[in-house]
Amino acid sequence: MLENVLIYGLINGMVLALLAIGFALTFGISGIANFAHGALYILTGYTVWVFLHTLGTPYLLAIFLAMAITALIGAAIYNVILLRIRGMRSSEIIATFALALAILEAFRFFGFVGAKYTLPTFVEGSVSVAGVIVDYQRLILIGVGAGLVGLLWFFTHYTKTGLAFRAIAQVERTALTLGIDSDRMATLSLAFGAALAALAAIVLLPLGQITVETGLNVLLNALAICILGGLGSVTGIVAASLLLGYAQIITVTYIAPHWLMVVTLVAIFVVLLVKPSGLFGKQKELEERV
Amino acid sequence: MLEINNLMVFYENALAINNLSMQVNEAEIVGLLGSNGAGKSTLMHTISGLTLDMKIKEDRRGGERITILGEMKFRGKDIMNTKPSDRVKMGIVLCAERHPVFPESNVIENLKTGGYLRKQSEVKEMLEYVFNLFPALVELKKREAGFLSGGEQQMLSIGTALIAKPSLLLLDEPLLGLSHAIQPKLVEAIKRIRDETGIAILVAEQYARPLLRILDQGYVIENGSLTFSGTGKELIDNPDVKAAYFGV
Repeated sequence: MLENVLIYGLINGMVLALLAIGFALTFGISGIANFAHGALYILTGYTVWVFLHTLGTPYLLAIFLAMAITALIGAAIYNVILLRIRGMRSSEIIATFALALAILEAFRFFGFVGAKYTLPTFVEGSVSVAGVIVDYQRLILIGVGAGLVGLLWFFTHYTKTGLAFRAIAQVERTALTLGIDSDRMATLSLAFGAALAALAAIVLLPLGQITVETGLNVLLNALAICILGGLGSVTGIVAASLLLGYAQIITVTYIAPHWLMVVTLVAIFVVLLVKPSGLFGKQKELEERV
Repeated sequence: MLEINNLMVFYENALAINNLSMQVNEAEIVGLLGSNGAGKSTLMHTISGLTLDMKIKEDRRGGERITILGEMKFRGKDIMNTKPSDRVKMGIVLCAERHPVFPESNVIENLKTGGYLRKQSEVKEMLEYVFNLFPALVELKKREAGFLSGGEQQMLSIGTALIAKPSLLLLDEPLLGLSHAIQPKLVEAIKRIRDETGIAILVAEQYARPLLRILDQGYVIENGSLTFSGTGKELIDNPDVKAAYFGV
């Protein structure tokens, strides 16, 4: 029982981290809360499905194409929709949320509903870890999550674009005086965030069914993690994901599965009461973070 | 190299820069003296493109509160409608007032950020130069910039601007808030930058006394327009200027 909680808590934590990291990245760099994050996640799932089943593209190629498409849509969201309302935070949220609803309802409208909308796992089979059965897809997602965190850390500390991301997130005006273009950075931040939503979808969707409703759940989870962890750092996101991941699994195992969503909401509630800047947030005020 | 003719900047209905003409020649140190609110920073921001950037962002949202009129040329090219990042590419780099470093990045990361538009080899070369100019920064490489003292942050902020490889460096109130012990050292560093690299420097200051001896040219700005212009020596000798700005 305990081994089960330990291993599946870790997996659940990694799932949450994957869902939230793109949202947090975009917001951290450009201050834009992309409420279409969950819709992009689902969009990627359906895109891969269409490539696989309608066009017969090989799985690996379909994955890369879907990620590229989602990233381009992310960039387009900034340049077509957000450009004119940049800096007006509530308008940004309303616009991206409206887009999310439009994307999700369009899929429902065109009949993307039903049990046939699933993606194949990368590798079939499972393995026993300390007496607990874990399938390969879940092991892969732990690897992808951990790898991604490492890669992001390297990217933001050792590459020009990464340093520019951190610079513009800290003091926009100084970044401008050094030749860092704010529109270019915002476009990139949305494209990166979208690509990370796509990556999460590709790794996580094979574990279940692609449904329209998942889109809003993904958004809610991403928001919960960001509020919990505070949008200061990747560390905050990972720590919050693990915390919430374990809390959810412990609740499911020892209390009852239907309390699952309550855990998330209670966690948000308690953190907002006790430390509104999030557990790892750096002085940022509440309204600055959604 | 920089030529400004009849520049006017309006914020809503307030006239921030009024019919201002001035120039900066290659490898010169030019002073822009004026009291609080005289328009020094507005002029610096307008030359670096920040005012234009603000205007573009305002216009997108439907606001029409900033107007920039007149002529600005850099090495013969019109830059009135050039965005800030392109001006940096051309060689105009602003080091804004109150040493605005990136507080959560460490010193070396701050400096490298300055090299965003430059090649790896250029950045390496300039890093060496900056550490030579401000040896105090070498020991602080791994320290977060937010934890540096005011003087150290000012050195870092000028250093970061230098990594961007300017040919015209705009320094907005570099001496502001620094102790009297540090001020002469910084003035010496500013002179060294020009002497050793040939970078032209336009420096805006309120308390200009420590700067005076290194100026080739000086302007005095009041309420958005120039009230005096001349060589550094003329500036020192002018009784009105003396009384108003150097506390004599």
